[in-house]
Amino acid sequence: MTTVQGLNRDRLKELFDLRSSYNTLMGGDFQTDPYPLWARLRAEAPVHDGTVHRLSGYSGEAFFQGLPFPEVPHFSAFTFAACDAALRDEVTFASSPTVLGESSETPGFETSMLSMNGAMHRRYRALVQPSFVPAKAGWWITKWIEETVQLLVDGLVDQGRAELNVDFCAAIPILTITHSFGIPIEQALEVRASLSQPAKIAAMLAPIVAARREDPQDDLISVLVQAELRDEDGVHQRLSDLEIYSFAILLLLAGSGTTWKQMGIVLTALLERPELLAAVRSDRSLLRPAIEEALRWTPTDPMFSRHVTRDTEFFGKHLPAGSVLHLCLGAANRDPARWDRPDEFDPRRPVKRSLGFGGGFHICLGMHVARAEMLVGIGALLDRLPNLRLDPDGPQPRYIGMYERGATEIPVVFG
Amino acid sequence: MSADQGVAVVDRTRCVGSGMCIVYAPGTFAHDAEVKAVVLDPPGDDLETIETAIEACPTSALRLGGEQEEQ
Repeated sequence: MTTVQGLNRDRLKELFDLRSSYNTLMGGDFQTDPYPLWARLRAEAPVHDGTVHRLSGYSGEAFFQGLPFPEVPHFSAFTFAACDAALRDEVTFASSPTVLGESSETPGFETSMLSMNGAMHRRYRALVQPSFVPAKAGWWITKWIEETVQLLVDGLVDQGRAELNVDFCAAIPILTITHSFGIPIEQALEVRASLSQPAKIAAMLAPIVAARREDPQDDLISVLVQAELRDEDGVHQRLSDLEIYSFAILLLLAGSGTTWKQMGIVLTALLERPELLAAVRSDRSLLRPAIEEALRWTPTDPMFSRHVTRDTEFFGKHLPAGSVLHLCLGAANRDPARWDRPDEFDPRRPVKRSLGFGGGFHICLGMHVARAEMLVGIGALLDRLPNLRLDPDGPQPRYIGMYERGATEIPVVFG
Repeated sequence: MSADQGVAVVDRTRCVGSGMCIVYAPGTFAHDAEVKAVVLDPPGDDLETIETAIEACPTSALRLGGEQEEQ
């Protein structure tokens, strides 16, 4: 099994620092707290002209789903009601600007189910959904999460101090997802570094896919090679290698970065509130609500987009067909029309769905795995690092990033 | 929960098996073999919890049905 101590920490830091060159593409160098501005925009109107990053005063080029598309009009929704309505109406608000053909030429997330619409998306998603349901959380924890987490804590426990954002939060998701694919740990960081080069990832996956076609194991690539897609005529068909690569690239992309940042946000929010941290430590049933509250309060992905398929009047704006509607989920999650004291981080507030994992038919496939990683990861820190607290002599964590938000660093001391 | 308060009804064509209902009302919802939501009998949560779960369904596949729709 893994030797997580063998991870190259310098390389890990390079890949998993929001301020590094790998992460500026999504606006990782955005340093301002956008929430006061988002509150003003949300109060002014549910929908505004322009993109979220321009409206937020970010002057750089930021890329994310629905960007850049410079030739079409852009709008941004800021209220919970508007974002929720768009996510639920997949006919007017499509995930992709074009209808994807069944046979794509190149692997990558552009040809994955992230970009599919309607019935086609449902057929593809149904292939992997059984591996990502709440009942599978135990499988993920036992097979892929728990041991990695304990080995990572083994590496810190005697040192009295640690930087948890990279050495812990970043390591767990990338190791979980690559491990569940059968990718050896030596290649785990290379996968993360190569996410923008799908051909390279496909080459790394090719021998694993071939081996699992011969001899299936209890892992995700085996699920994909054994999956049978049923087309509209009811004919069953296995996925091609290309389709498996696209699936795999989407899962690697989504699984290796988001949970890192969200776990860092949960941890930071707790460490900044020592009384709350103590309460969670003594009553572990508070950890799950704390994770849910962090997903509401500061979702790591505060924006997703939809492509407008037909002229529509939407919350006071005329949206022409072909335009892009950006959904500022971060703003929606602090809508005072839905939550009292929305800017407060309060895990004890009444339970209610937020848009932290998105919504609609494309709602985060991996959300129960992400929850399991955060629960097991933070739980292990609380179990094994007594008196865990922010390092008073270290730099204090700050929340940064435009379309991928997270903590700068989380230096802690314990014992 | 008494029967006249209604029970949750699942629209199986809209359900994608996201599992959101199970997060919010694990005593009431489960997945069947096709990974579609099903309502446990008897539902194991109070009405408010069930309503929270229904509202949480990302694909609007759940609603609170009347007693007469149960058959």
